[in-house]
Amino acid sequence: MIQVRNLTKRFGAKTAVDDLSFDVQPGVVTGFLGPNGAGKSTTFRAIVGLVRPDAGTVTINGARYHDLPAPMREVGALLEAKAYHPGRKARDHLLALAEASRIPRRRVDEVLGLVGLADVARRKAGTFSLGMAQRLGIAAALLGDPPVLLFDEPVNGLDPEGIVWVRTLMQSLAAEGRTVFVSSHLMSEMALTASHVIVVGRGRLIADSSIEDLVRASSGSRARLRSPATASLVPHLRAAGATVEPGEDGAIIVSGLELAAVGDIAFQAGAPVHELTRIEASLEEAFMELTKDEFEFRAQGATGAGGGDPAGTRAQKLAGTGVQK
Amino acid sequence: MSAGVLVVPGLSDTARSEWTKMRTLLSTKVTLAVTALLVIGLSAVITWAAASSPRHGTDSQILVDPLAVIQSGWGLGWLAFEVLGVLVVTNEYSSGMIASTLLATPKRLRVMAAKGAIFSVVVGLLSLVMTFVNFYVGHAVLSAYPQFYDPALGANDVLRAVLGMALTSTLMGLVGFALGVVLRHTAGAITASVAVLFVLPLVLEALPTSWRNAVEKYWPTQAGSQLEHVSRQAHALSAWWGTGDLALFVAVLLGIAGWVLVRRDV
Repeated sequence: MIQVRNLTKRFGAKTAVDDLSFDVQPGVVTGFLGPNGAGKSTTFRAIVGLVRPDAGTVTINGARYHDLPAPMREVGALLEAKAYHPGRKARDHLLALAEASRIPRRRVDEVLGLVGLADVARRKAGTFSLGMAQRLGIAAALLGDPPVLLFDEPVNGLDPEGIVWVRTLMQSLAAEGRTVFVSSHLMSEMALTASHVIVVGRGRLIADSSIEDLVRASSGSRARLRSPATASLVPHLRAAGATVEPGEDGAIIVSGLELAAVGDIAFQAGAPVHELTRIEASLEEAFMELTKDEFEFRAQGATGAGGGDPAGTRAQKLAGTGVQK
Repeated sequence: MSAGVLVVPGLSDTARSEWTKMRTLLSTKVTLAVTALLVIGLSAVITWAAASSPRHGTDSQILVDPLAVIQSGWGLGWLAFEVLGVLVVTNEYSSGMIASTLLATPKRLRVMAAKGAIFSVVVGLLSLVMTFVNFYVGHAVLSAYPQFYDPALGANDVLRAVLGMALTSTLMGLVGFALGVVLRHTAGAITASVAVLFVLPLVLEALPTSWRNAVEKYWPTQAGSQLEHVSRQAHALSAWWGTGDLALFVAVLLGIAGWVLVRRDV
């Protein structure tokens, strides 16, 4: 289990991580989500001691990374894709790490096979594609067969087959009872891989919950309603406090009312109902909803004016979630 | 998840890892080989040129201190070892390898000690081979010119001067190593190394003579190079005090390097 307590890290005037506290539990894949510059990588680096916190503590199974007697046998981490010297052969890179951790040499060939790099083990790592670099980083993380694993953006640069492979790997590692903590900017990917998420924005904790709860909470009560008497029905819905927007094919989207209340109002108004469906938000929408304030704050800061224009804010949101690093 | 006994790695494991890192980089091996060939070749050419020169003043170095002429290619060797000392550290930062290194061994001083030790052993042993090859090549060149004193290993302080060259070279390499740890960037650390070895001694030339003599006497790279001379130079420390001066300078640099290494973010 990873325990982050009141972690704070400043770089000059910028606070990258601000009083962040959360636990990462074993046995499940925990996703780490947040827009650009939210402090995800800094948090990862603080967990393994590459970054010195200004305040707070991070412990892994009760100990600081620095104090673990055999760190690579307890924690495996993929932090950046190319954490190796380009002139060194892939196998030699892993061999040096294995020797430093007193891990037997045969384990090097084992993990090379496991990540599918056995055939290129004697090639210089500098010739590797981003996808192969990720696999080499994952091999390094798995060297010590550790019970705790950290992966920062593991599917970056992987082809679709590689993405499925990483997803399956994460889930099987968690199923073996390990703690698996993984960040990604691909929400759809995270929805498929993780069962629990920790969401951060501007270095602060925004949400720490299961994906189901997160999606349910942000779906709110939105419903799609199809009726031949829409025109007469809409005033009744608005009178009850609902927001009504036009949907596709003559349907209307009703938000702000429970599904049952929408049905009751339609019945009382004498409007025939052909369809009344709850609209589930995707994780991506849930994420947007949660981090809306972060982005809006930024958009206002950028223009120097309160309010801002909604279209611009929306564009910022999309830009913010689409590209990481 | 290994259910067995946790095997706790120690300094010897870190050192083994650092040795693997050093021997698996072709660029390091090429740098070492080229340095050795250049120093030996340059020393031989300078010795031959000095000996075959038609006129010699009474203060000509080949008359006064032929051993220093035989070893005269070492200025280049010191620079090369300083640069190599810089590179074994800054390569880790520029490539991103440092993150992997410190994940495997989060005890940073242990990493620095292991890396510094492996580097010193490699540079020390290679320098030892180079200085003896230099000596015998110079010996062979001088044997064709019987008018010059041809130092023998058994003669007064000659063995000390030959062996001392390996020690001085290793210390020079460690200057680069420590500056690499402090500065992390290749260009900056190499510039600082060159400044320590060549530029600042040149600046000293601009000082008034009395100042210059005093500063030059203790300037570490000047003081450290006294070990190569059989005869004592004017305004210089004795061979061993000079080496001690350089060693102290290296120790202070390594101390600063260790201090900043454990305190800063990677």
